[in-house]
Amino acid sequence: MTEEDATVKEPLDLIKLSLDERIYVKLRGDRELRGRLHAYDQHLNMILGEVEETITTIEIDDETYEEIIKTNKRAVPFLFVRGDGVILVSPPLRQ
Amino acid sequence: MADAGDVSQSARTPADFLKSIKGKPVVVKLNSGVDYRGILACLDGYMNIAMESTEEYVNGQLKNKYGDAFIRGNNVLYISTVKN
Repeated sequence: MTEEDATVKEPLDLIKLSLDERIYVKLRGDRELRGRLHAYDQHLNMILGEVEETITTIEIDDETYEEIIKTNKRAVPFLFVRGDGVILVSPPLRQ
Repeated sequence: MADAGDVSQSARTPADFLKSIKGKPVVVKLNSGVDYRGILACLDGYMNIAMESTEEYVNGQLKNKYGDAFIRGNNVLYISTVKN
């Protein structure tokens, strides 16, 4: 067991351990955020800095009916995220 | 499997079941239909979930892997134990 496991007593501890770290947030509406976690509360309202937002849209080609998956990215210096839009929060991928 | 037997015998209420499956491999299905497979680290009264070694499946296909993952409880449809 890692040191981290010892301090995770409830799910929100995982978020606490990610303070000032870059995190990945999956939101409703096929939106994803990557940014530095400055603050959060029990609703998962969050303040993120140096954010990159990725918006995924699926368009159907009029003629071939093929699904075209498009991703739009934008940079936001500071972002307040309302908690009810949050699906998943993860520390940065360590693959 | 012995593990699965222990779970069903010791679980009396939903809360007991949830307590008994900590540290076990689980599948968490969200209302959106997305599945998360991994080790259940812990959960709270909102059904917020912390998972380890999490794999995200969309339409049965592996889409993502997360070392640690926090899932906000309002999105959870069910939590299921799996044979590992």
